[in-house]
Amino acid sequence: MNSVILNYIQENKDQIFNEWIESLKENGDERVVKVVSDQVFNSTSYEFIDVIIASVKNSTEEFTSRLSDFSEKVVRLGWPLSFVTKALNIFGKIVFQKMQGDGLVNNENQMDTVFEFDRWMNPMVNEMVNMYSSTWERTVSMQKIALQELSAPLIPVFDNITVMPLVGTIDTERAKQIMENLLQGTVKHRSEVVLIDITGVPVVDTMVAHHIIQAADAVRLVGAKCMIVGIRPEIAQTIVNLGIDLNQITTKNTLKKGVEAALEITKRKIVKVEEAE
Amino acid sequence: MENQSCVKIINEWDIVAARQLGRNVAKDLGFGTVDQARITTAISELARNIYLYAGQGQVCIEKIYDGGKAGLQILAADSGPGISDLRQVMEDGYSTSGGLGAGLPGVKRLMDEFVIDSEPGKGTDIKATKWLR
Amino acid sequence: MRSPRIPILKLHNCLLVSIQWELDDKTALQFQEDLLNKIHVTSANGVVIDLTSIDFIDSFIAKVLGDVIDMSKLMGAKVVITGIQPAVAITLIELGIGLNDVLTAIDLEKGLEKLQQELGE
Repeated sequence: MNSVILNYIQENKDQIFNEWIESLKENGDERVVKVVSDQVFNSTSYEFIDVIIASVKNSTEEFTSRLSDFSEKVVRLGWPLSFVTKALNIFGKIVFQKMQGDGLVNNENQMDTVFEFDRWMNPMVNEMVNMYSSTWERTVSMQKIALQELSAPLIPVFDNITVMPLVGTIDTERAKQIMENLLQGTVKHRSEVVLIDITGVPVVDTMVAHHIIQAADAVRLVGAKCMIVGIRPEIAQTIVNLGIDLNQITTKNTLKKGVEAALEITKRKIVKVEEAE
Repeated sequence: MENQSCVKIINEWDIVAARQLGRNVAKDLGFGTVDQARITTAISELARNIYLYAGQGQVCIEKIYDGGKAGLQILAADSGPGISDLRQVMEDGYSTSGGLGAGLPGVKRLMDEFVIDSEPGKGTDIKATKWLR
Repeated sequence: MRSPRIPILKLHNCLLVSIQWELDDKTALQFQEDLLNKIHVTSANGVVIDLTSIDFIDSFIAKVLGDVIDMSKLMGAKVVITGIQPAVAITLIELGIGLNDVLTAIDLEKGLEKLQQELGE
């Protein structure tokens, strides 16, 4: 049992704590030391020692739940994982060295103690890493959903004329999503002309151009006309330099011109209202 | 429902049977309408290739699971004449049958993974997979 | 097994076709023949083919459709395809089948409008 280690920690709590804090501040990540106030840093570190000591008194389940509560708190504080694992490492080292200094570890039981340390430290490190990675996974999947939601809104601006503004980088996954939204929206709104506005797309390379051409082609198949607007000078340059053929598709430099052209196609125009006398 | 079901391709009607099977499995796995159309079309192309070039063969549809992902795998196998130049058949517009020449490269684009194994005189095995997003 | 033929309706100078079930190879080829005969008999100068109920088109059916459009053109009838579903459009494009030069419209109503325009009426 690791009670020897835990009892030792409990007895020398303050001493270990001070040494640990000292060492952390020396070796610590500058980001953390600068950002985190001394008070939070001290209290959190102290809480950690309490959690460890609690494991002596309480059952395994209670220890596990306290440990995961604590891990959650550390994650919320936003400390880098590299710092936290390092801190755990240093903590173990300090305890081991002190026990050695006090003669509790000798040549005979050295191996056993090292194993014991491993069995004691590993679950804690694992729990921390698990907590971090599950939080990250959650964040990533949330962001993915968020990205999908803002992926490609389709806006009907006039009867039969719809605009889809594209913003941000386009990868294959997103391009497919955009194409689906675009076509479903086109059919739903019974659009005659669909304008894809690429003003907000930072880079148009061969892949992105290819996806846009595919989308325009598919729009033609469902029975509408597709126009690409927002072609900036550098995008025009890339398109020609890369030898991408956009001849089959109508393009305009601004959304305004695109809308005008769309109105023309649908045989309408915007006229000024005569002022009432 | 078992994880794998197969349809023997002997006549034109079996092409319809194979793609109906594929569509049902795709629906069952929860694929959206667009992916269902992709899968159905891919199966139709592969089954037709068997019918046209090998005379007969088999198309199997399998539900597969890898880690947290679920997917649908199409296995198309025949012991027909095989393909001597794999690179050529994967080129757009290449056709020996007067078709559109969109078949194999098209299937590759419709699916996420595509593996072809063929030996002249022995036959052709094609494995194509679509993962549930 | 025999599948029923696809009905072809005449409306003024146009022919209307609505394909309501999955096309197998024989039905598709039969349809090609029937449509050309009907154009010949009625001297229609426009055709609308509605694909709203079709949920997938492979390269064979695409070829039959493309061919029948070209053949109709030779016989003096313009063809408009309507109601191609988003999923079908995406698969066709990914297959590499653009159906270039084919007239399309969102639905039957717009398809007829487009046909009248094309025929200059």
